[in-house]
Amino acid sequence: MLLAGRPTDICLRLPEPVDRAALRRLVTAAQTRLATAGLRPGGAAALRMPPSLAYVVNLLATWRTGAQAILLDHRLTDHEVSRALHRLTPQVVVAPVRTGGGALRIFLDVTEGVTPYTDRPAVSGHAVIQLSSGSTGPSKVIGRTAADLVAEVHRYTRIDGVALPGERIVLLPSMVHVLGLVGGLLYGLHAGVELVPPERLSGDAVLAAIAAADSPATVLGVPFHIGLLAFTRLDGPLPQFKRMTTGGELVPVAVARAFTDRFGVPLGNMYGMTEVGVIGTDLYGRHRPSIAPAPGIEVREVDGELQVSCPASPYVGLSDPTRWADGWLHTRDAGTVDPDTGLVTVRGRLDSQVSVGGLKVDLTEVETTVAELPGVAAAVVVWDTGITAYVQPDGPLSAEVLDKLLAERLAGYKRPRTLHLLDQLPRTTTGKLVRSVEALRTAAVR
Amino acid sequence: MAGQPDLGRADLVTMLAELTGKPATEVPDRIGSMELAWLVHLVEQRHERRLDLSDDQLAGIRTVDDALAVFRTALTVTADG
Repeated sequence: MLLAGRPTDICLRLPEPVDRAALRRLVTAAQTRLATAGLRPGGAAALRMPPSLAYVVNLLATWRTGAQAILLDHRLTDHEVSRALHRLTPQVVVAPVRTGGGALRIFLDVTEGVTPYTDRPAVSGHAVIQLSSGSTGPSKVIGRTAADLVAEVHRYTRIDGVALPGERIVLLPSMVHVLGLVGGLLYGLHAGVELVPPERLSGDAVLAAIAAADSPATVLGVPFHIGLLAFTRLDGPLPQFKRMTTGGELVPVAVARAFTDRFGVPLGNMYGMTEVGVIGTDLYGRHRPSIAPAPGIEVREVDGELQVSCPASPYVGLSDPTRWADGWLHTRDAGTVDPDTGLVTVRGRLDSQVSVGGLKVDLTEVETTVAELPGVAAAVVVWDTGITAYVQPDGPLSAEVLDKLLAERLAGYKRPRTLHLLDQLPRTTTGKLVRSVEALRTAAVR
Repeated sequence: MAGQPDLGRADLVTMLAELTGKPATEVPDRIGSMELAWLVHLVEQRHERRLDLSDDQLAGIRTVDDALAVFRTALTVTADG
């Protein structure tokens, strides 16, 4: 389905155009390499790749083989990856043997290598497996079936305000995660929308990508990217700029206004989760901060929590009725559903999950990792406009050593930005660690 | 440097404060890839030139001071070259 269409249609501009005929040839060649390394129908391939043509090609080749794709963010550490591989038993692992391109590249020039891993079948019948930062220590394993991905792509086609056939998506989010994967790559291939990653992560490069052709361009990103563009000088009119749409956390009103004042194009907002993909949208920025449920998606509020219709549990190896039960996914987002308009307003998390540049990080995972480090007696990790760790050492321990140990165990976006070493962490009278940001701040300056 | 005063640590801290919405006194010393992209972007805007940075240079940046050293080197190279 994704590779069907006219052979001369351009799928990607990197900036060299890649048409469907070229993509098909590359996918066929990759299928052969994967098979040679041991990938069989019903098996799984782990893709540990940065966003790149090689990633796209190997993902499509895995699916054409009839195998499952396990998507591992290239920023994960060896420690995180080896745990995932052990659980998910892929037949092959695809990883770069050479990475080219310059600094701050969004799309890299990758030559991949394929390594056999096991001869076991995939752990589930899902087409794609993604990892989400988990509240119980190791990452949660989330599976999406082929039918579910197809349904999400069709959902996009029915949303007013998405890029149309013949138009372009200037793609900023990683294609390893749900927004870039389904809202960018899969929707683009299906609908005949060209995908254009900017040459690098800067405001100038995004504007240059928009200006590079005459067709209308939608910029897909996360709120951080709105800030980048709002702080970029505009040298002339940019009539191709049609819309910017972001997923991830809510956009502060002042940032949204700075953006629309500068560019005069709609700033759309999307709400989604790795488990189900896009849940709702406000692509014209008319309902900010609320969103309207996407076609075919039902959202309800139960005791202050948003629940989303989801026919089957997306979790692999986890049966937890507080996360999914009876066809409803418990989002752990606090929110409301307006009984008259059906508009959904998300009001923050009910658990310890935070968003760093659009990537979900569970503070419990960070805290567990810090607390398990040698030399650490106890740790509390909180969100204080950034991931902040308060650590009680059980001997001599410097922030530098802690940093080094964490760098081996946690991907960069999950690591604390601020580390406080305290002789004693504040505790309640019964000895429990105090989690109040105020109390921790006070203890740190004492 | 195109009439711009030398880049100082306080300039970078002010830029990071804009990103995080924190007072400059509370900006953490450690920076991640997002903060780094933000700094490169604003320094380039301010100096009206592209910084020629290598992956190795960027990978070595862990703190505000690391970033300052790399940016100063890059600005000097660009100005000379």
